[in-house]
Amino acid sequence: MKRIPAPPAPKRPFTRREALKVASTAAAALGTVGLGLFLYDRVPPASKPLPPLKDHKIARPAGAAQMAIVHGSDAADNTRRAIEALGGMGAFVRPGDRVVVKPNIGWNRLPEQAANSNPDVVAQVVRMVLAAGASKVWVTDNPVNNAERCFERSGILKATGAAGGTAVLPNSGSFREVLVEGKVLHVANVLWPVVEADRVINVPMVKHHGMSAATLSMKNWYGVLGGHRVRLHQDIHRSIVDLAAMVKPTLTVLDCTRLLMANGPTGGSLDDVKRFDAVAAGIDEVALDAFGASLLGLKPEAVGFIGEAERSGLGTSDYKSLKLVEVGGSG
Amino acid sequence: MRYLLLAVLVVIPVALIGWMFWVGHVPPPLEPTPAARKVAGDAELLALFKDPLAGAKVKGEIALYDAKGLFNYIDGAAPIFIERHFRKLAAAELASADGADLTCDVYDMSSPADAESIFSKERSASAKPAPGFAQGVSGPMSLVFRQGRYYVKLTAFDAKAEAALPAVGQAIAGKIP
Repeated sequence: MKRIPAPPAPKRPFTRREALKVASTAAAALGTVGLGLFLYDRVPPASKPLPPLKDHKIARPAGAAQMAIVHGSDAADNTRRAIEALGGMGAFVRPGDRVVVKPNIGWNRLPEQAANSNPDVVAQVVRMVLAAGASKVWVTDNPVNNAERCFERSGILKATGAAGGTAVLPNSGSFREVLVEGKVLHVANVLWPVVEADRVINVPMVKHHGMSAATLSMKNWYGVLGGHRVRLHQDIHRSIVDLAAMVKPTLTVLDCTRLLMANGPTGGSLDDVKRFDAVAAGIDEVALDAFGASLLGLKPEAVGFIGEAERSGLGTSDYKSLKLVEVGGSG
Repeated sequence: MRYLLLAVLVVIPVALIGWMFWVGHVPPPLEPTPAARKVAGDAELLALFKDPLAGAKVKGEIALYDAKGLFNYIDGAAPIFIERHFRKLAAAELASADGADLTCDVYDMSSPADAESIFSKERSASAKPAPGFAQGVSGPMSLVFRQGRYYVKLTAFDAKAEAALPAVGQAIAGKIP
């Protein structure tokens, strides 16, 4: 008798219970994968901590002059004498150093209009830095007005080149992020020569400022920043102090050749300019700013950032308490 | 009587609805919107730089700054303008008829009183009146004047440009209503 194989069992459709089980398992699996991806995205990548700027201050020999003020009709000669009164540029710059010089080049203005640092002062600093054996001198700023116009019109582009320095005009790739850890400024985008340099020399000038009362040494660091700088105006005095604490310069040479007495920081009218024919140099920016403010007829306590910087331990506003050398002009 | 009451009850609401409908469709008095005023204000400002400018020519673009952007051009000098209802600045570089560089900044201060206020605020004690301008001062390398709601600052960078300032200033002033 031949056995006939049994016919294949008919395919049974899913029951409603089975279909629900499959659907809920699939939903649970998808949900698990989705949640995993969601949580994975929320975990921040391990970020590299930002570096702060180097401290460029140097120890001064005991008994050395801390500040010098030199009067005379020749701005370059005043600069030379002021730096020599502090022990010469060799006391601040070592052979082979890469040095950044930071004048105020913020404005499309002529030297006579006194909105920028005097080009003769800048050139003299560059020459002295090179004579001290520096391997490189960068002269830089991030102007408020068009950079090419400002560097050219101020005379600083030409003066820098003639003195053997390198002018560094900013562009969008010129800035590096650094840690500030100030009260209002925590991180900043800073011009690369200021980050790279072994020594930093501040070359500000003295002028009226509509918001901070004066633009002097500490306010000059505003010009190393990129990005949205306007936000600093919301707490301008504290911002200036944060900047001064961020950049600790080796030397500051305050150009007092021409003072912009009103309508700063832009200026433009020679009616607002007063000739003073002097250069002050030192290592204490607070002291230099107190002296500069006095030239504008302001007491240190009338300039918010000077008092704030002094309270933060950045220096003294009593510049006459320092070992001060004050000499007449070339003669 | 009943019909009269019904008629009153029907007519009064219908009349009221009709009246409201009509009033709603009466066009409001013609007043430009703030956006339209802004566009018109910018056009009037830019028109001050059109030829003739006593032979001077605008070099490149005329930059416009509103109150928010003013800090990007004059930094810490901005607040004294903003607190005087500054509306917009047009800043241009010009070449005088003989090719010398000068800059021209025209501030639209919203009203003649505000323009006069900023003119007085910035005027140096030693500034000399500029001949030919009702409210103007001139000095080496600069000419500043106020006319209407505009505050105008012209800056020269050499003697040739300085010599051109009065004529360029007059050309701009002549276009201000």
